[in-house]
Amino acid sequence: MVDLSEYLPILLFLGVALVLSSLFVFGPMALNHVTGAYKPNADKLAEYECGFPAFEDARAQFDVRFYLVAILFIIFDLEAAFLYPWAVSLDKIGWTGWFAMMGFLVELVIGFAYAWKKGALEWE
Amino acid sequence: MIQAFAFYLFATMLIASAVLVISARNPVHSVLWLILGFFNAAGLMLLLGAEFIAMLLVIVYVGAVAVLFLFVVMMLDIDFAELRAGFVRYLPFGLLLAMVLAVEMIFAVGAWKAGSLEMAQRLVPIPSDVPNIEAIGDLLYTRYLYVFEGAGLVLLVALIGAIVLTHRARGGIRPQNISEQVKRRPQDATRNIDQPVGQGVEL
Amino acid sequence: MTAWFQTQLGDGLGWFVANLILVLAIALPLMLAVAMIIYGERRFWGAFALRRGPNVVGPFGLLQSFADGLKVALQEIIVPSAANKALFLIAPILTFTVAQILWAVIPFGDKMVLSDINVGLLYILAASSIGVYGVMIAGWSSNSKYPFYSALRAAAQMVSYEVSIGFVLLGVVMFAGSFNLSEIVLAQKGHIFGLVNGFALNPLIFPLSVIFMISAMAETGRAPFDLTEAESELVAGYQTEYSGMAFALYWLGEYANVLLMCALNATLFWGGWLPPIDWAPLYLVPGIIWLFAKIFLGFFIFSWVKATVPRYRYDQVMRLGWKIFLPISLIWIVLISGYLMLTRYSA
Repeated sequence: MVDLSEYLPILLFLGVALVLSSLFVFGPMALNHVTGAYKPNADKLAEYECGFPAFEDARAQFDVRFYLVAILFIIFDLEAAFLYPWAVSLDKIGWTGWFAMMGFLVELVIGFAYAWKKGALEWE
Repeated sequence: MIQAFAFYLFATMLIASAVLVISARNPVHSVLWLILGFFNAAGLMLLLGAEFIAMLLVIVYVGAVAVLFLFVVMMLDIDFAELRAGFVRYLPFGLLLAMVLAVEMIFAVGAWKAGSLEMAQRLVPIPSDVPNIEAIGDLLYTRYLYVFEGAGLVLLVALIGAIVLTHRARGGIRPQNISEQVKRRPQDATRNIDQPVGQGVEL
Repeated sequence: MTAWFQTQLGDGLGWFVANLILVLAIALPLMLAVAMIIYGERRFWGAFALRRGPNVVGPFGLLQSFADGLKVALQEIIVPSAANKALFLIAPILTFTVAQILWAVIPFGDKMVLSDINVGLLYILAASSIGVYGVMIAGWSSNSKYPFYSALRAAAQMVSYEVSIGFVLLGVVMFAGSFNLSEIVLAQKGHIFGLVNGFALNPLIFPLSVIFMISAMAETGRAPFDLTEAESELVAGYQTEYSGMAFALYWLGEYANVLLMCALNATLFWGGWLPPIDWAPLYLVPGIIWLFAKIFLGFFIFSWVKATVPRYRYDQVMRLGWKIFLPISLIWIVLISGYLMLTRYSA
């Protein structure tokens, strides 16, 4: 069984960090109202554009390559996830485990080479 | 005590964020609630002592899968009316799925109450003193070798499938070829000529 | 300390008070460190550009960051009318929270670590993978085109370099045989013929430490990889719509992340809190001083690079991550594991 008491400080830290960061945002906001720095007007609250009203919706369509990067990342992240337990149990699994991972890496490299050849990693 | 408190905190947050995933009007908000849900699920895994799985849940689902979801959803042209209409149309199907899940849960609880089969325990007893990341490693690459290699093949198929489906070669681009740039020498690009005075240059 | 508080205040409350003090003992000095490091970096850049840098507020300008902080705290926080208001304010909170909680597993000395978990390195990877959301939420919720494009770029870039960081860390993990950061530090003791404390001088690992350092720059969006805030094309990137303290939180978060990357570099490759050479008199100096010295040196390299290297183009950034670092780190995993199997585990 894992010693959970080591994780409790992290939960506490998460709480403290959340409170501190929220203070940093909402504290000055409250202060703004007190000091009178808070003076919104329509032009100030408009989204940033180079001196003219925005032409089009900001959330425009973007290039499909961003998805491709995200998909490739998922796959490589999963491959890495398989490598983590392997890296710490090399002493017990011996050559069997080592060659098993080499086989796995070969599969990975085939996919990687395919992506490279197809130009999925190209940006111009 | 604190474990019970943490469990109820994570469990409530998980259920609440799961409800908000399907009830949020804006799909981007849905994905963000989903991320919060993954987090709390990771917290529950941690409480079970599965620290490796908990970290993996965050790394893979929060760090990778949800990024893709967010990419997809941020780009969607959302038509809220159509979404509402879809809700009514798929409601019976959704209810059916929910019923199946509920029945499965009842069976699972019943089976658990009846006493454990300890099948897994007999095959591979869980070591108590090793970190569970090492315990997984000891089994995954030896006893479950074929499953592991199979997972690699699944990932390979996924990679190729993703590229086939989404990659479009575009014409008219001039990508940088670095080795060509480096290989280029002055004599390839320039030439020295002894230019006589008063005559034009032959280019 | 926990035991003392528990005898004074009872089990639960004593634990809570003791750990709260420990948490604050990390979080508050971290903010101070960030303030000072921003001052330090501005002095470095001044020196690189043959300027003076900030030297007016306080002795040698030491109080410059605090004056800036006060100014920023008094400024108006603008929430654009087109923005998703709640998310717009949550994004900087998220960024800064993540930048803080990462420090929970860094060992500052022998047994001086807040939570000594088995999978410390995975915790770092997990928590830092959340960092991308602070940027993405900011970009999307601003509902303005420059932040949006910047958030897309940032997400793709951070995600790409996380791959190589993940593979690079495996090399260290294999040598140390553990994901626990304290154990990784101790595994570096007398690494090279019992002389040097640190993996980095091992020729098999040194290339990995270089890749890690460069990937860390890309991961934190620092120059030369600061495409996300390339002012000639994207104004101020995902922070364009932010003002006042909400803007400053990104700034603080960025520097806290840079410090963390330097701390990780020190811990994983340069022996953490161990002195650089395994020689008894050096152990008289507290470990925390060695660690801070190493962090500071790493930070100096970061600002040196920022001051001298021109910005990459986006295609070059992606090419470096996917086509150079990823294959190299894969080959290195095979090399290191093969070496370890032959020398350490084959008996």
